[in-house]
Amino acid sequence: MNYLELLRALLPETALVVGALLALTFDLSFGVRQSRETRLHAAVIIGTLAVVAAMFGALSAGVADAVFGGVLVLDELTLASRLGVLMLAWLTLTLTGGTARLRHPAEFVAIVLFATAGFTLMAAAQQLLVAFLALELASLSLYILAGFDKSRPESAEAALKYFLFGGMSAAFLLFGFSLIYGLTGSIELPQIAHQLARQGQSPLLSLALVMVLVAFGFKAAAAPFHLWAPDVYEGAPVVSSALIASASKLAGFTLFVRLLWPGFGPAAGSVATAAGSPGWLPLVACLSAASLLLGNFAALAQSNVRRLLAYSAIAHAGVMLLGVIVAGDAGLGPLFYYVFTYGLATIGAFAVIAVVERAGCCQKITDLAGLHRRSPLLAGCFAVYLLSLAGIPPLAGFFGKFTVFAAALNLGGLAGPAGWLALLAIALSAVALYYYLVMLKQALVVAPADPASAPVPVPADAAIVLVFTALLLVLLGLFPSVVLRIF
Amino acid sequence: MSLSAQFLWLIPALPLLAAALGAFAPRGARTLVAGAAIGALALSFFLSCAALSTALANPAAHLTHNFTWFELGNDTVRLGWLLDPLTAFMCTMVTFVGTLIFIFSLGYMKADENFKQFFCFLSLFAAAMLGLLVANSLLLLFVCWELVGLASYLLIGFWFHKPSAAAAAKKAFITTRIGDLGFLLGLLWLYDSAGSLLLYDHGHGVLEATALGALGSAATVGGLTVASAIGLLLFCGAVGKSGQFPLHVWLPDAMEGPTPVSALIHAATMVAAGVFLMARVYPLLTADVRQVIALIGALTALLGAVIAVAQSDLKRILAFSTVSQLGYMMLAIGVGAPGAAVFHLLTHAFFKALLFLGAGSVIHAAHHEQDIRQLGGLSTKMKLTFATFAIGTMALVGVPLVFSGFWSKEAILHAAHATSGSPFPFYAALIGVALTAFYNTRLISETFFGHGRSHAAQHAHENSAVMTTPLVILAFFAIVLGFLGTPAYPWLQARLNGETAVHGHSLLDGAGLMVLSIVLVAAGIGAGWWLYGRKLRLRIKASAPDPLATAAPRAHAWVVARLQFDELYAATVGVLNTFLATAADGFDRYVWGGIVHFLALLGEFCGTVNREADEQGLNAGFDATSEKLRGTGQAYSRAQTGDAHGYLRLLAVGFVVLALVAILGGVA
Amino acid sequence: MTLDPLQLCLLFSSALFCVGLVGALARSSTILVLLGVELMLNAANINFIAFWRYGPPTAPATGVMFVIFSIAVAAAEAAVGLALIIAVYRHQKNIRLQEASRLKG
Repeated sequence: MNYLELLRALLPETALVVGALLALTFDLSFGVRQSRETRLHAAVIIGTLAVVAAMFGALSAGVADAVFGGVLVLDELTLASRLGVLMLAWLTLTLTGGTARLRHPAEFVAIVLFATAGFTLMAAAQQLLVAFLALELASLSLYILAGFDKSRPESAEAALKYFLFGGMSAAFLLFGFSLIYGLTGSIELPQIAHQLARQGQSPLLSLALVMVLVAFGFKAAAAPFHLWAPDVYEGAPVVSSALIASASKLAGFTLFVRLLWPGFGPAAGSVATAAGSPGWLPLVACLSAASLLLGNFAALAQSNVRRLLAYSAIAHAGVMLLGVIVAGDAGLGPLFYYVFTYGLATIGAFAVIAVVERAGCCQKITDLAGLHRRSPLLAGCFAVYLLSLAGIPPLAGFFGKFTVFAAALNLGGLAGPAGWLALLAIALSAVALYYYLVMLKQALVVAPADPASAPVPVPADAAIVLVFTALLLVLLGLFPSVVLRIF
Repeated sequence: MSLSAQFLWLIPALPLLAAALGAFAPRGARTLVAGAAIGALALSFFLSCAALSTALANPAAHLTHNFTWFELGNDTVRLGWLLDPLTAFMCTMVTFVGTLIFIFSLGYMKADENFKQFFCFLSLFAAAMLGLLVANSLLLLFVCWELVGLASYLLIGFWFHKPSAAAAAKKAFITTRIGDLGFLLGLLWLYDSAGSLLLYDHGHGVLEATALGALGSAATVGGLTVASAIGLLLFCGAVGKSGQFPLHVWLPDAMEGPTPVSALIHAATMVAAGVFLMARVYPLLTADVRQVIALIGALTALLGAVIAVAQSDLKRILAFSTVSQLGYMMLAIGVGAPGAAVFHLLTHAFFKALLFLGAGSVIHAAHHEQDIRQLGGLSTKMKLTFATFAIGTMALVGVPLVFSGFWSKEAILHAAHATSGSPFPFYAALIGVALTAFYNTRLISETFFGHGRSHAAQHAHENSAVMTTPLVILAFFAIVLGFLGTPAYPWLQARLNGETAVHGHSLLDGAGLMVLSIVLVAAGIGAGWWLYGRKLRLRIKASAPDPLATAAPRAHAWVVARLQFDELYAATVGVLNTFLATAADGFDRYVWGGIVHFLALLGEFCGTVNREADEQGLNAGFDATSEKLRGTGQAYSRAQTGDAHGYLRLLAVGFVVLALVAILGGVA
Repeated sequence: MTLDPLQLCLLFSSALFCVGLVGALARSSTILVLLGVELMLNAANINFIAFWRYGPPTAPATGVMFVIFSIAVAAAEAAVGLALIIAVYRHQKNIRLQEASRLKG
């Protein structure tokens, strides 16, 4: 046991926690007499520095198979996913500086940093206890962020629902972990895999896997464990929704794909052929199909922008689960690329909503009407995000879909559920295109409801976020190998 | 002057740059943006000429430049540029016609407040179209294909304040996407079986002998070879893009866009992309697939001509004639004469662009009056427009010996005659020739002869030189282009086939067929003149009944309603809708409980997906479908009451269901 | 039929899990729902202890460590939960879960 090694591996988390505490301290000692604007900017600057320091920490931690007796792992996935969530967290923080009106700015920034520490830890966990702790650290922070706007009843309600749903799924997860501990006598993933390979399937193992998948479904907002998502996306403060929709998703998928493949891989089963086989792969395929169908169709019925994004997130979760299925065969590249670029596009879309909301109201899709007149920058970036989400080439979203589908079709062609799912997803992307176009039509084509409606001012911080994400989506779409080469 | 394949990307890059400039320039920078767009395309034209001279120096070679785009595990995805006579001819045509249309737009769109945007979109379109032409990878081709569709969507809906324009844009986008879905599936399949999407790659490309042999010998369901199945799927994409039956319904509606757009996109270039694709992947097309292509092409050629007979909107007549001519091109591909198809594509691009621009000139002068019954007597008021329009019409009709359309159409007819397959395509094409002559005679006499039948027509006057000069240039080419491919000296076809020597034969070979088609043209013109031109002097009102309508009112009404394709699609889809809805309703009624209800919803989802697929194929009920789909979503939405207990219960139910699946799956 | 102690413990923890689940699904007071979730967490804790106690005698005290951490997490969760319940109470002046249904669709 080498504690120095552990400290080096945990540099990003350390930087984030120190940053959070610094932000709080600074605010409490110097912020008292300052305006709320100044306090917010001070906190955001400290937070940004902490995130940058964490990025350096993640890079300097390097690559190691097992740290501290196998508690943590520092592989390519850890590195990529840590940098990914840190970048998404940085975008969220910058957006906070540009658009949020908070009564307690330093607390907000501190909790965002705690949540981010949870995400980076999730990316590195290789043991059930660390995984559970990281997950809970992230989740508890996110519950608070969702309920941060105390003036709006919707915010409190969304947070409560999120909390109850998350708490229950955490209980399922813990129960599943306890069963796995009982079956294998270990909580470290390599040993678990070793034991499972020797034991084979048993009903108790199936039960444990299902319980873990319930928590996974919750984290990924996959049907039928998606119900919290629309309410939280709608009710929570915009910035919180952005973080929940992007960084949290990336960290969640990293954690669970690591649990499922390196940990429970021997119990995976197969979805390459139609013949049923025991294991968790068919279950993930069920979740994926349900999410694709439910997300896309329910999105059609939405008139609220954020709810629509939530249902589209559910649909995307279906594709990401397909990415999890193919990860055993095609590697983690397609999944990571998809989730990361999805996170970018989503954070961008929420940034647009945040800026519009700052200038007035942004609930209904029709509130976006005439955005091209009110702010061409917003409208243009919005188009990039939505088209990327819809999967229109040459944006990153198209390429993400392409790699995932290609990998799924490689997995035994059309002979089994993987191929069928890919076909279903391709067909449903036509439906998805419709609701994205409905939003785009409002933003790009329809004239403003009130001809005299004022232009939307875009704060500099928010403009950075908008342009950065849009550019990144285009560039990653053109040069996907930048990301794919990591794996 | 030469241009190697390595620098071929410059041709699409220049207009793309102009589009970017247009996007970022301030709204007031009209001259700058328009100038950049025209300049960039003109430069591209010169580059294309250089590429053409390179390609012609060695017509049999497929000059390629491939590079790795990215690597994914063991898979390497490579893109590339391809230079051969087909690419070079197409690029030269697109840049040349495009430049003229851009110049014409200067005058036509002068008063539009979104002038800058218009040129930005036009440049984007040109860039995507050129990218499509120079691509050596079907993947890159597909990306550009979609971008072309996007630009077309933007341009059709350019006057978005008109609800009909917005609807037409949506219709065009969705209808073509149905075909694209087939195209995409074909690509995936091709990639799966050939391991590459590069067209030519030193023996490893999909159009080279090794891959073709493998694809042609592997069998799939129903006795089809893999090559046939893939060819059919690719043809789906071409059907959508090139307005072939049964997906032709979007093209006439697309005329809601500004007229230069109709000329550029929906006559000269984009709609030809489908034909280009088929000519490009011609080695892949097996005899079975070609048979299908020939049938669809002939059917489209005939249908388009029949419907055009009874339309009264100037642009719609031209649109249906475009549908019909595209059918001829597909027919040529189907009967094994891709050279003739491309020849007709090139001549058609010139004379149809000329006709559309001429129509634009008329519409501009007549204050946006498009109904030919309201026009008339313009031959004296707009002499230059009339003269050039007449040349375009004669080229389209195929007036013998002088006009380009005659020679390209002859080439197709000869190929159709010589083919060993079903004789239907040949006869359909012959009937189409007569009909084309007939409706064009009607068009030109109603528009230009007799008295002006409305205030707008009486006070029309010739347009400025910026609009008429392109007409004159296009008219010149509408005549001379035909001599590139006469049977006596088929230079163009030989180069396209990769031959350096030209084997002409005497015009007297096959003279019988030529005389027959000349007779048919004469008959069509004569009938048109007899029915429409002769009595025009007596007509001063627009309301006079159509002679065909008095002769056979019901048939005429049917043709006026475009053979009621839209209605047919709406009706069949409607019946299907009701049936499936009833079935779903009954199903709902007899099932019980929350979980099962959820399953019922799933069933309905699948039904809707099915229906959607049919429907999008059959388009007209598009809005009805989205309403229906949305209804499904709303039903779900209502079920989510916001009660947190319900959420937790669903979580528990989900757990139980998954556990059952897992344990039962484990037992099985 | 006799049950060995491990099986008894597992039966007990499963029962506790179900009781917690039913409580969470059935009670209308948000605090009682929260209590049900805590019961479910504790059922898992019992599992960990039982598996450790009746597992191989030489094994490290993994199960116990896990339980200590998870009790701490449950406490933090209860704190956040109560805070959120108070936030809801401020707006609707009661803590009935059914009434928190402003967001739906």
